[in-house]
Amino acid sequence: MAEELRFPEGAEDISTSGFNRFIGPLYRLPDGESGERRYCFPVADKHMNAAGAVHGGMLMAFLDISMSRTSRLESGAATCSTVSLACDFLAPGRLGDLILSRVRVSRRTRTMVFMSAETWAGDRLLLTAQGVWKVA
Amino acid sequence: MMPPPGYTKTDLIDPFEIHVGPIYERTDNGTRSFLLIVDDRHVNGRGVVHGGMLMTFADLALGAAAWDAADKAPVVTVSMQSQFLKSARAGDHIEVTPELVRRTRSLVFMRGDFRVSGAVIYSASSVWKLLGQG
Repeated sequence: MAEELRFPEGAEDISTSGFNRFIGPLYRLPDGESGERRYCFPVADKHMNAAGAVHGGMLMAFLDISMSRTSRLESGAATCSTVSLACDFLAPGRLGDLILSRVRVSRRTRTMVFMSAETWAGDRLLLTAQGVWKVA
Repeated sequence: MMPPPGYTKTDLIDPFEIHVGPIYERTDNGTRSFLLIVDDRHVNGRGVVHGGMLMTFADLALGAAAWDAADKAPVVTVSMQSQFLKSARAGDHIEVTPELVRRTRSLVFMRGDFRVSGAVIYSASSVWKLLGQG
């Protein structure tokens, strides 16, 4: 299924090294209409749990990567570190889904970035999240 | 890799956990503790263990403990909160003894402090729903 998915124009691979590559591929998409940052990944067998849903750890890792990338884009800093992240699981992801994240910046200071994010599979809302990042 | 003395390899059945594992565990007075030995797969470009890996380990360990608390009934994550206190690196041994905060008929509340050499580097709390319990 995954190989039939077509990525939107302008998808950029953001999983070229380290842990991102180990769990990827993951992509950044062009920003949404209201300026939100967008990312996606196609669900593969390795992302699953034994109950046939995408593993919660994978969904949180994808949000962490989406929000970390957003905090770097917004702050211009080379590195940013996750301080806190809260995730609510509303619905399960499935094999073959193209999972999309949307990240909005609530506030940015000199040293901190406050964000909220959502994860979607088509019209199903999977996760909502709030997080704080420290600008290195 | 051989488990460290006193530990056994945790039986993992979720493909994503098998992908990021192995995980080790030991049992003291009926309570399980879990151990992750950080390797090169788990770190980012700065050599620091990835937040996504810590959250995956927390979901695994707190989930296993919630499952123990629920008398082996299936449980799913409803929400999880994470605080990242300090970085960990390849070669570090990260250990957690998940704590049961409360169990109701349909929910299990868990928390855990994740330590390297005694210092807390990460803490997580999570809420689990027992499937089929309203």
